[in-house]
Amino acid sequence: MDATPASTAPLIGADRAPRAAGRHPHPLKLLGQQFRIEWRLYLRDRGAMFWTFLFPLLMLFGMGMIFRSGGGPSISLVRVQPAQESPRDAAFLRALNEAHLKVTTLDPAAAEARWRKGETSAQLESVGDGYRLRLNSYLIAQGSAAAAAASQAFLVAQARLHGSPEPERIPMVVESPGHAHSNTYAAFLVPGLIGLNLLTMGLFAVGMVTVSYREKGKYRRLAVTPLPKWVFLMGQILQRVTVVVLQTAVLLLAAWLGFGIRNEGSYLVFAALVVAGTATFIAMGFALASLASTVETYGAIANLAFFPMMIFSGVYFRLDSAPKWLQNLTLLLPLSPFLRVLRAVFNDGASLAGHGLGLALLAGWAVLAFAVAVKRFRWV
Amino acid sequence: MASQVAVRSLRKQFPKVLAVAGVDFEVAAGEVFGLLGPNGAGKTTTLEMIEGLTEPDGGDIEVCGLRWRDEAPEIRARIGVQLQATSLYNKITPREALDLFGSYYPRRRATDELLELVQLQDKADAYHITLSGGQAQRLALALALVNDPEVVFLDEPTAGLDPQGRRSLWEVVRGMKAAGRTVMLTTHYMDEAETLCDRLAILDHGKVLQTGTPRELIASLGIPSVVELTFDGTPPDPAPLRARLDVPVEARGALWEIPTSDPKTMLPRLLAAAESEGIDYAQVHVRRATLEDVFLHMTGRSLRD
Repeated sequence: MDATPASTAPLIGADRAPRAAGRHPHPLKLLGQQFRIEWRLYLRDRGAMFWTFLFPLLMLFGMGMIFRSGGGPSISLVRVQPAQESPRDAAFLRALNEAHLKVTTLDPAAAEARWRKGETSAQLESVGDGYRLRLNSYLIAQGSAAAAAASQAFLVAQARLHGSPEPERIPMVVESPGHAHSNTYAAFLVPGLIGLNLLTMGLFAVGMVTVSYREKGKYRRLAVTPLPKWVFLMGQILQRVTVVVLQTAVLLLAAWLGFGIRNEGSYLVFAALVVAGTATFIAMGFALASLASTVETYGAIANLAFFPMMIFSGVYFRLDSAPKWLQNLTLLLPLSPFLRVLRAVFNDGASLAGHGLGLALLAGWAVLAFAVAVKRFRWV
Repeated sequence: MASQVAVRSLRKQFPKVLAVAGVDFEVAAGEVFGLLGPNGAGKTTTLEMIEGLTEPDGGDIEVCGLRWRDEAPEIRARIGVQLQATSLYNKITPREALDLFGSYYPRRRATDELLELVQLQDKADAYHITLSGGQAQRLALALALVNDPEVVFLDEPTAGLDPQGRRSLWEVVRGMKAAGRTVMLTTHYMDEAETLCDRLAILDHGKVLQTGTPRELIASLGIPSVVELTFDGTPPDPAPLRARLDVPVEARGALWEIPTSDPKTMLPRLLAAAESEGIDYAQVHVRRATLEDVFLHMTGRSLRD
């Protein structure tokens, strides 16, 4: 065995002349380079490109078209053809048509078939001398509106038949809370999709990638080079942030060109909110990544966080008809307050005043996620 | 000559096992130094502590005269590392990977030169995920050399390479040595350790059993030759032969090994004894002792176990 040097002496003699190694590259130069390579590799990943850019557009145009109702309200009613059209039936039908209701008259068999398929929201039937309104419990919002219009039309028809003065109609206007949009579902959807993009980016493009790099040993290979770790992480984060900016810009442009929807609020406030959301969800990705050591475990954890937010935080629909406790519970998820504030600004042109609680909840999540990420982050 | 790597009393305790239990050695500049031992001997853990990947629980490490605590970035700039498994981005090409990793260092070798060195010119612009195991291994080697390092650490560099790939890796290592660089590698291939390494440390259970040149290690056995008997089919019981010759006969299935320092007298005695015991062997060989015999002698186990 080799002679062991005395414990206080340096292990290697001082006579070794250090080699002139040259200057280490500047960290900012390295950061620029990491940013470029992250982008280049991202552009080569077709899956990422689809989920990032194409999927939100497909959702916007697909769902925006399906639930399109631009212009006036379009409330529809199925009318079951009476066995014999009485004068009263005819008067009622005329009044219904005047009420901007889209009335489809079907014979009883066809009406029943359509009802069974679940396509009818409200159906007007003759029962004995009178009428009955049947409302689809799954489409109660549309059905109720149709029922209200039909009830008014009935009163008008009754008055005409009896020669008494016609009751005054109450005009119905469907409009968003900020008076900006007339029942365009796409307008509701745009902020939701932006929020969903941020959530997906944080949990999957940051969190999942972190766990997979750690598990596969990519970080170990980088750890033996002089590249500072913060440069690597910052390059990754900056790339994701530019992806989000582009994604948001593409969605806004598509919403404007496709549906004429614009941000009704301040663009500065809107941008600040998107940045705050981005920071929160990136931190959340890193925090969750520190809880899992394999991609499989991480997948389970991330989905456990992702699906409740996607469904209950109001990306696609409001939870107004859900029990109050569930609504309150979902408010605690970070996406819910974010979407509420973002919608208020984007759809209704609101300022941040009056949204203190939501902003505080969002900030709380950001601080918690940052603390966990910084404390628990592991390279190996 | 000055040492490029020196470790003293190096220890690493994992939750359930003492992986490295007090290891000392020095590697001189310009030397090819091998850590030889079976799986689980502590070779990789020792190497990873020297590379700065694993924090030791005790002991001292100096690399290029520097210590990790004080000058980590400087050490990283001067060493090259090939890990046992190198994972990269799936869709990066060898050329891009070499350019990227090269940019992290104060000095670097030209990408084309490295591609030529590991014979990856044809695959220079193919995605990493499409490379074969051997090609990926060669890229990992090129990445370890990207900064023209003073010391290169290679962990099982030829595992998974075909014979031609192994020989060209040996050539690269010899070229490093000729250029005055220091190479430290782990292996469990005897022939590799014997032909490639100037000096070796034999590791088992986290301890250095012996260090020396391959010749010294083999000579230390005191039995330079081994007579081998091979059998077709099932060999008979070796006990009568052992008793008659009064020497150890290592029976390993259809191969019996009889170590000897004097094959000139041993061979006729052995053949006569086999004749009178009616032992129907197929072939007789006399070979010189190898590191495998040294390892077997010191641990009672084969390296491949």
